[in-house]
Amino acid sequence: MNAAVQAGNVGETLVFWICAFFSVLGALGLIVSRKAVHSALWMALVMINLAILFVANSAPFLGMAQIVVYTGAVMMLFLFVLMMVGVDSSDSLIETIKGQRVAGILLGIGMGLLLVFGLGSALTNSTSVGLDAANGVDKGNVQGIAHLIFTDYLIPFEVTSALLITAALGAMVLAHRERWIPRLTQMQLSRARFAGSGHPGNLPNPGIYARHNAVDTPALLPDGSTTDLSIPGPLVARGGIRPVDHAEVDEVAAITDGGQS
Amino acid sequence: MNGTVALSAADLQQVTPATGIFTLIALLIALPLAGAAILLLGGRRTNRWGPYLGVLTVTGSAVLAIVMLVKLMSLPTGSRSIGQNLYQWVFAGSFKVNFAFQLDQLSIVFVLLITIVGTLIHIYSLGYMAHDVDRRKFFGYLNLFVAAMLILVLAGNYLLLYVGWEGVGLASYLLIGFWQYKPAAAAAAKKAFVINRVGDVGLSLAIMVMFVTFGTVNYSDVFGSASHASQGTLTAIGLLLLLAACGKSAQFPLQSWLLDAMEGPTPVSALIHAATMVTAGVYLIVRSNAIFDRAPWAAGMVIAIGIITMFMGAIIGSAKDDIKKSLAGSTMSQIGYMITAAGLGPIGYVFAIFHLLTHGVFKAGLFLGAGSVMHGMKDNVNMRMYGALRKVMVVTFITFGACYLSIIGIPPFSGFWSKDDIIHAAFERGTLIGVAGVLVAGITGFYMTRMVAMTFFGKARWEDDAHPHESPKVMTIPLVILGVGAVVLGMALLFWGNIKTWLEPVTGLTEAPTVIPDWAIMTISLACVLVGAAIAFVMYARRSVPTTAPRGSWLTRAAREELYGNEVNNTLVVRPSYYASRVLNWFDARAIDGFVNGLGGFTGAAGTRLRRMQTGFARSYALSMVGGAVLVILALVLVRL
Amino acid sequence: MNPIMASAPALFTIRSVDYRAISPVLIILAVALVSVFVEAFVGRSARRPVQLVLVFGAFLATFIDLITLHATRLVTAAGSVAVDGPALVMQGAIILLAALAAMLMAERMVDPSGDPFAARASSLPGSVDEAEFSARGYFQTEVWPLLLFSVAGMMLFVSANDLLLMFVALEVMSLPIYLMAGMARRRRLLSQEASLKYFLLGAFASAFFLYGMALTFGFAGSVNLGSIADAVSAKPSQSGLLLLAVAMLSIGLLFKVAAVPFHQWTPDAYQGAPTAVTALMATTVKIAAFGALMRVLYVAFGGIRWDWTPMLWIVAILTMVVGSVIAVTQSDIKRMLAYSSVAQAGFILVGVIAVSGKGLASVLFYVIAYGFATIGAFAVVSVVRDASGEATHLSKWAGLGKKSPVTGAVLSLLMLSFAGIPLTSGFIGKFAVFSAAIANGATWLVIVAVIASVVSAFFYARVIVLMFFSEPTEATASVVVPSAFTTIVIAAGATVTVVVGIAPQPLLDLVNNAGLFLR
Repeated sequence: MNAAVQAGNVGETLVFWICAFFSVLGALGLIVSRKAVHSALWMALVMINLAILFVANSAPFLGMAQIVVYTGAVMMLFLFVLMMVGVDSSDSLIETIKGQRVAGILLGIGMGLLLVFGLGSALTNSTSVGLDAANGVDKGNVQGIAHLIFTDYLIPFEVTSALLITAALGAMVLAHRERWIPRLTQMQLSRARFAGSGHPGNLPNPGIYARHNAVDTPALLPDGSTTDLSIPGPLVARGGIRPVDHAEVDEVAAITDGGQS
Repeated sequence: MNGTVALSAADLQQVTPATGIFTLIALLIALPLAGAAILLLGGRRTNRWGPYLGVLTVTGSAVLAIVMLVKLMSLPTGSRSIGQNLYQWVFAGSFKVNFAFQLDQLSIVFVLLITIVGTLIHIYSLGYMAHDVDRRKFFGYLNLFVAAMLILVLAGNYLLLYVGWEGVGLASYLLIGFWQYKPAAAAAAKKAFVINRVGDVGLSLAIMVMFVTFGTVNYSDVFGSASHASQGTLTAIGLLLLLAACGKSAQFPLQSWLLDAMEGPTPVSALIHAATMVTAGVYLIVRSNAIFDRAPWAAGMVIAIGIITMFMGAIIGSAKDDIKKSLAGSTMSQIGYMITAAGLGPIGYVFAIFHLLTHGVFKAGLFLGAGSVMHGMKDNVNMRMYGALRKVMVVTFITFGACYLSIIGIPPFSGFWSKDDIIHAAFERGTLIGVAGVLVAGITGFYMTRMVAMTFFGKARWEDDAHPHESPKVMTIPLVILGVGAVVLGMALLFWGNIKTWLEPVTGLTEAPTVIPDWAIMTISLACVLVGAAIAFVMYARRSVPTTAPRGSWLTRAAREELYGNEVNNTLVVRPSYYASRVLNWFDARAIDGFVNGLGGFTGAAGTRLRRMQTGFARSYALSMVGGAVLVILALVLVRL
Repeated sequence: MNPIMASAPALFTIRSVDYRAISPVLIILAVALVSVFVEAFVGRSARRPVQLVLVFGAFLATFIDLITLHATRLVTAAGSVAVDGPALVMQGAIILLAALAAMLMAERMVDPSGDPFAARASSLPGSVDEAEFSARGYFQTEVWPLLLFSVAGMMLFVSANDLLLMFVALEVMSLPIYLMAGMARRRRLLSQEASLKYFLLGAFASAFFLYGMALTFGFAGSVNLGSIADAVSAKPSQSGLLLLAVAMLSIGLLFKVAAVPFHQWTPDAYQGAPTAVTALMATTVKIAAFGALMRVLYVAFGGIRWDWTPMLWIVAILTMVVGSVIAVTQSDIKRMLAYSSVAQAGFILVGVIAVSGKGLASVLFYVIAYGFATIGAFAVVSVVRDASGEATHLSKWAGLGKKSPVTGAVLSLLMLSFAGIPLTSGFIGKFAVFSAAIANGATWLVIVAVIASVVSAFFYARVIVLMFFSEPTEATASVVVPSAFTTIVIAAGATVTVVVGIAPQPLLDLVNNAGLFLR
C-alpha cells in the first residue's frame, strides 16, 4: 500500500472523492429515509466507503476490521433486530415540536460551516507525518496496533473489558426473562386444553365482524355482543379494551337487513 | 471636610486578649442560643416552662453584659477593646478567619441595648402572647434572634458578622411569618427574605473584595491596611456595605419590606423592626468607619440615601391609619437620621449611635404601647377606630406620651439630645443637610402628634364590641421601664455616661464650625416640631376624625401606597423576572407537564409521557446541545479573532 | 510525538505499570468481576447478602488502600494514569459517596414491596409478568456489579491522564448508570424514559468527546495530556484544529457536569431514576466529571487558557442563571433538586475558571461538600412517601415539618447549605470558590454568581417554608421509618454539612495539600 501512496496522488484523490461522495450520500440517506431498514442499508454504505478510505490510506487492517465488524457483524445484527420488530414499521416523520426542524437545519448548517472552515483552515497548510511512523518498526498495521495495545494503551485496552462485561450484564438485565412457572410439556398442555372447561380450539381473532381489526377491538358474536376471548390476555388485564360503539353494530345490522329485504 | 480625614481610632486602639470576666464573652451568646435550642428542639415537653426559660436566658445575658460594662469602664481608655478567639474557623493558605469575638466600646452599647430591651420585650411577651398556642416556639425564635444579633455585634471579623447577619435575617423571617395562617404574614415574611437577600449580596461581595484586597477580613487588619487600598476599591467596598445596610435597615430603595413586616406579632416589631435588627445597617457603617472615612464618595451616597429615606418614612408615617405601619414609617425615618449621621463621618458617627440607643428605647416603648392599645382593642390596628383612650388606659397613655415627647425631641427627653446632635452635625457638614434634618423633625412632630391625638384624644370611635382596658402588669411594667428610659436615657448617656468620649476611641470624633449658631439651630428645629405638632393637634384632636379615611390629596394617597415602592419593585424586578422564568421554562416541557400530571393522575400522565418520548422529545434536547456546541465553538473561535 | 518505541526490533518492551498506585481501581474491578460470578453461580436467596458484603468490603478496602496511598504522586502506565493529589482526594470522595449511595440502594424498609429496583427490569411495565415477579419477591441483584463497574469508571475518570483512557473510563462510568436509571420499581415508564434519554444524549455527548479526541490527536499526534500540553506550547499556530478540539472535548465533559445548554437530560433523568441512583448521579458522577474537566483543561490546555476561559464564562453564567431561575418554578422536589444541581454546577464552574491551585482546591472542597449535602437530600426524598410511592410533588410536602420535625429540620439544614447560608458547608464552599475566582480577576462573574445564589436561596427557602409554614393537609405525605442504611446516609449528610460548616479546617487542609495535577 505504501507503494500506491508513493506512486502518485491522482488515483488516491479519485478514490477519495468517490468514497467521500458516497459516504456523505449514505449519511444523508440514513437520516432522511423513512424506514429503519433503509436507514440501516444506507449506514452499511457509509461503513463500506469508510473502509475503502481506510484501505486507501494504507490502513488495511482497520479497513478490514471496519468491514468485518461493522458492516458484517453490527449491521447484520441491526437488520436482524429490525426484521424482528417488523420491516414495515416506519416512524412518523411529522414534526410535532414547533420550530424544531428549522432550528435543527439552521444549527446543523452552522455547525457544519464552523467545522469545515475550522478544520479547513487548520489542515490546508499542514504536513502529514507519514505512515511509516504510525506503522512502527514492524512496518505493519497489525503489528503497530498490537504494539500500542500492549504498551502505551495497555490500561485503556484492559479497561475496555469492563465495558464489555457491563454491556453483557446490561443486555442480560434488560432482555433476559426468567420463567416463573415451570415449562409445561406437550402432554400437559393438551391435557389442560381438553380437560379444562376452556376453549379447545383457536380463539377468535380480534375485530372479527367489527368495524376495526385492531388488537384491542373485541370480536362480535352473531348477536352483536362482544367476546373478550378475542383480546390478548395482557390487554384484558390492563383494561385496554376498546368499547364497541353499538350504533355501528346497529348500522351494520341495518345494512345487512336492508340487503336481505 | 473631605480633606481633613481624621485618622480612625480603630488604628490606634489595640485589641487585647480576653481575661477575667471577658473570657465569658461567648457565654453572652451561648445563653440565648441554648435557650433557643432547648425550646425549638425540646418539643411539647417544654411548653409549660419554656417561655420562662426564654426570659431567663436573655436576662442572664443582660446581667452579664452589665457586669462587663462596669469592668470595661474600669479599664484605661486605650485598652477597652477585648478580643476572644474561640478557634480557627477557616484557614487556607494565607487566608485565616478565626471564630473570634471583639468586645469594645461600640459593641458593648449594642449588647446592652439588645439584652436589656430584649429582656423587657421577652417579659412583655409573656403577657402579650399568653393565649397563643405556639408560645414556646415564639420564645425560641426570639432567643434565636437575640443570639444571632449578639453574634452580629460581637463578631471580630466580617465573616462572623455575616453569620450573625444571616442569622438575624432568618429569625426575622421566622417571626414575621409567625402567624402563618394569615396570608399577609406569609407574604410579608417572603418579601422581607427576598429583599434582605439583595442586601446580603452587597455584604458578601464586600467581604470578598476585602479578602482579595487585604487578604483578611478581620476588623483590625482591614482597618489597619485600609489606607493602602486604592480609592476605587474602597469606594466599591463602601457602596457594597451601603447596599447591605439598606437591605437590613430598610433604607431606600430596599425599604418596602419593613411596613409589611408589621404583620408579625407586636413584640417582634418592637424588638427586631424598631430597636435592634433594623439598626444593624447603622452598626455596619459605623463599624466600617475606617473604610468610609477614606471613601468620601461612598460616604456621600450614605448621606443621600439617609436623607431620602428620612423624608419617605416621615411622609408614609403621616398618612397611614394603621398604628403599627405609621410607627414603621417613623422607624424608617429615624434610621434615616442615623444613616445620615453615619455618612457625615467622624463628626456624626457618635451621634448616629447615640440616637440609635435612645431610639431603640423610646421606639420599643412606642411599639409596646401600641401593642398594649391593640391588646385592649381586640387587635384592631386602625387608629380611626381609637380615640379618647387616655382615660381607660392610663399607664399606657403616660408611657406612650413620654416616648412621644422623646421622639419629637422636646427637651429634656432622650430624643431631644440625640436628634439635636445629629442636626447640629448635619449643619457642620452642609446647611442643606441640616435643613433637611430640621424639616423632617417638623414632620415627625406632625405624624407623632397625629398618632397620639387619634389614639388617646378626641371622641371615642370604638367598634361596638370593643371594651378597652388596661393591660396586665406583666405588660405595663416593661412599658414603665421603657417610659422612664425615654425620659432619662438621653441625659444619662450624655452627662453621666459621657457617650462622646466613650465611643471616640472606636469611631473618632471631630467637630467643625457651623454657619448658623448653635442656639439658633436648636430654636429653629424646636419651632418646626411645635408647628408640626400644633397642626396635627388641631386637625386630629380638636376636629372629629372620620372613621373611614377621606380620599385625601395626591400626596396622602401616594403615602398610603408607601410612595409606590411596591409598584416600582413590581415593574422593575418582579415582572421581568417572572417573564424571564416563563421564557426559560418554555424550553422545559416538563414544567407544563407537571400541571398535566396534577390533573390527570399518574397513569395518564405517564402514558402521555411515553407517547411524547416516542415522538422523540430527546431530539429537542439534542438540538439544544447542538446549539450549545455552536455557541461553545463560536466563543472559542471569536476570542482568537 | 511518536508514541512508538523504536528500540525493540521484534519484541516490545513492556511498559512498567505501578500496580500499587492503581490498586484502588483494581480492587473495585476485581470485586466487580467476583460479583458478576456471584450473579452466575450463587443461589438466589444468598445473592443479596453476598453482594452486600462484597460491595461494602470493596469500598472499605479501597478506602483504606487510598489512605495508605495518600502521599503518592506519580504518573504510571506509559503516562496514561496520573495518581496525584486531586485524583486521590476525588477517588476518596467518590468511594465514600458511592458507599452512601449503595446504602440507599440496599434500603429495603421504605418501599412496602421491598427493593427500590424493579423486580425484573426485563418484564414489561404493568404486565402480568411484572406483577408475578413482584409478588414472588424477586429483585435484581445485578445492580451491585453494575455499581462497582461504574465506581471503577469514575475512579479512572478522575485519574486518567490520557484521552483514550478517559473516554473508556467515561463509558465504563456511564453505561451502568444508564442501565440502573431505568430500573426503578415504581413509575417504571418514567424511569425507562429517563434512562433512554440519558443514554441517547450521553451517546451524543460521547460522540463530541470522541471527535474532540480525534482532532486533538490530529493536532498533537498524541492523546496523552502531557504530550498535548507540550504540543500546545510548541506550536501556537494551527489554532483552528486546537480550538475545535477544545470545544468538542469541553462539550463532552460539560454534558456530564450538567452545564447549560447541555443540561436538559438532568431533570428528566433525576426525576425518573430510582432515587438511590439519582443520588449516585448527582454526587459521584458530578465529582468525576469536574475532575476530568479540570484535568483536561488545566493539564492539556492550560497553555491556551485565555482562549477557553471566555467560553467557560458564558457557560457558567448561563448555567447559574438558567438553573436558578427555572428551579424557582418547579413543583416536583426531584426536578427542583435537578435544576439546583445545574445551578450548583454553574457555581463550581466559577471555581474552574479561576485556573489556579486555589481554584482547584476550592472546586474540590465544593464538590465534596455539595456531594454530602446532596446525598442527604435525596435520602430524605426517598423516605417521604405516600400510597403511590415517593411523594415528590411539592404540594405533598406542605406541613411535613410539623408532622415530622426531625426530617424537616434535616432537609432544611441541607437546603440552607445549598443556599450558602453561613455555618454550613455550602457557605464555605461558595466562599472558597468565589474568592478564588475574584483573586483571578473574575469579579464580574462572581457578582453574577452571587446574584444567582440569591435567586437560588429563594427556592431552597420555599421548601423550608412549605414544610414548616403550611398546615399539613390530607395530601401531605408521611415519613417512613427507614432501616439503618438510609438513616446512616441522612445522618452522614447532615453531620458533614454542619461539621464542615463549623470546622472546615480538616477538609480545607486536605484539598489544599492535594496540590496540583501531575502530567
